[in-house]
Amino acid sequence: MAAVEKRRLPVAQAANFTGSGRPGVSRAAATAESEEDFLRQVGVTEMLRAALLKVLEARPEEPIAFLAHYFENMDLRSPANGGAGEPPGQLLLQQQRLGRALWHLRLAHHSQRTAFNNNVGVAYECLSASGRKKKPGLDGRTYSELLKRICRDGEAPEEVVAPLLRKIQCRDHEAVPLAVFRAGMLTCFVLLEFVARAGALYRLLEDPGLAVADRHVGQAVLDTLEGALQASDDTTPARYLEAGSRLGPDSLALAMDRALVARRPSTPMTREEFLEKAAALFIAKVKPVG
Amino acid sequence: MSRVSVPCHVKGTVALQVGDVRTSQGRPGVLVIDVTFPSVAPFELQEIMFKNYYTAFLTIRVRQHTSTHTPAKWVTCLRDYCLMPDPHSEEGAQEYVSLFKHQMLCDMGKVLELRLILRQPSPLWLSFTVEELQIYKQGPKDLGIWFQVSPTLPASGQYAFALQSPSMTFPKWLSHPVPCEQPAPLLEGLPDPSRVSSEVQQMWALTEMIRASHTSTRIGRFDVDGCYDLNLLSYT
Repeated sequence: MAAVEKRRLPVAQAANFTGSGRPGVSRAAATAESEEDFLRQVGVTEMLRAALLKVLEARPEEPIAFLAHYFENMDLRSPANGGAGEPPGQLLLQQQRLGRALWHLRLAHHSQRTAFNNNVGVAYECLSASGRKKKPGLDGRTYSELLKRICRDGEAPEEVVAPLLRKIQCRDHEAVPLAVFRAGMLTCFVLLEFVARAGALYRLLEDPGLAVADRHVGQAVLDTLEGALQASDDTTPARYLEAGSRLGPDSLALAMDRALVARRPSTPMTREEFLEKAAALFIAKVKPVG
Repeated sequence: MSRVSVPCHVKGTVALQVGDVRTSQGRPGVLVIDVTFPSVAPFELQEIMFKNYYTAFLTIRVRQHTSTHTPAKWVTCLRDYCLMPDPHSEEGAQEYVSLFKHQMLCDMGKVLELRLILRQPSPLWLSFTVEELQIYKQGPKDLGIWFQVSPTLPASGQYAFALQSPSMTFPKWLSHPVPCEQPAPLLEGLPDPSRVSSEVQQMWALTEMIRASHTSTRIGRFDVDGCYDLNLLSYT
């Protein structure tokens, strides 16, 4: 009980500072204060609530490991702790921050838009609360580094993602606003999913015996996709209808059939080449930062 | 759907029968009804509506205006359309029937005259005809696209539909031939089109998502294509 008393002391003093007439409160009355009040005063209630909300949001498979990681990261998140004593060295600190930001970013899939946006906000905060000397804010170097990390971890071949990085990464000295950061993160994650889809598509297209896809068939499928993306109509609903019509099974079957019937000498298309070409279609639609 | 009733003149039924109708014992199995439009210019037929009375099969022929020089020709636009699934039983014998232009075998523009040929092979019924015959044409202002799913088509998800707004032009993809009409001699070893389609559609959706999500925030670069790059400037 004594320990509790000791810990409570600063809080109690802070409360007294408002002068709401508690200096005369006896010790007994103070201890009689409910546990609930104590938890609220030291911020545990708020912290646990936030943690529970995170668990609900992310629905992890292993909640205990998740919570352990969460509390570990929370300790580092607060800027006050960021440079405490500065023992780990600037580089290590930077790596830690990146790791934390990544952890937050991966909590929610990008299709859960609200949760994803929240996490992007938290990650942005993590990264911009850097060293004490500098003003808060995210510089281009950290942002580009993060993009590279995401792409590297995402199992996408380097030459596939390189054009995207060229398009959306910022220069080292540039300050990255939250909106740009969010757009960049979203684009990056969506591209990774796109590449994964393209990989699955390649597996569908490849010849079971040869383990490579026919160049003409692969090209025909990609051309069909490109045609659908360049749909003529500007109005959104009509464009979606048109794309749906072009990408229907019968339309694709016809395209692939035509490619095979032509009977040109068949050359294989490697997986890397297919992914690269598919990703190029995607990256063409990404707006560059400027 | 806007449709306008066309005033028409329905002539008396003519029985096709060998011998004299009044004296012969057998009843006729085929009746012909002519429908003329005396006070109407050639029009595009939209719908024919009538109440059946013991007619088993209906054939419709149409006389269309072609050009001023050549005489208009008769064309069969509906052949042996079944009104009673079993001619010997009551089913469908007294139902209201609507026939739309997309159910017809030919284009239904510039109609001058119609001829309904009614058949009833069963001798059970004393007489047969169609009643309350009404002809409709396209209404003047129909801006929406109206899809009609024909109840006679197989329910396999492939529906024919009629676009009933001739004033609008439709993009080419909208009038793809119905899949079942296409020849499908697909080669052996072709990847499963439906799975390929599903993947490609996902890829399309992801790309569309990125295209749609754009931020208006700019980072504030003033240079064009990196021409103010520090390394570059130091050389000049």
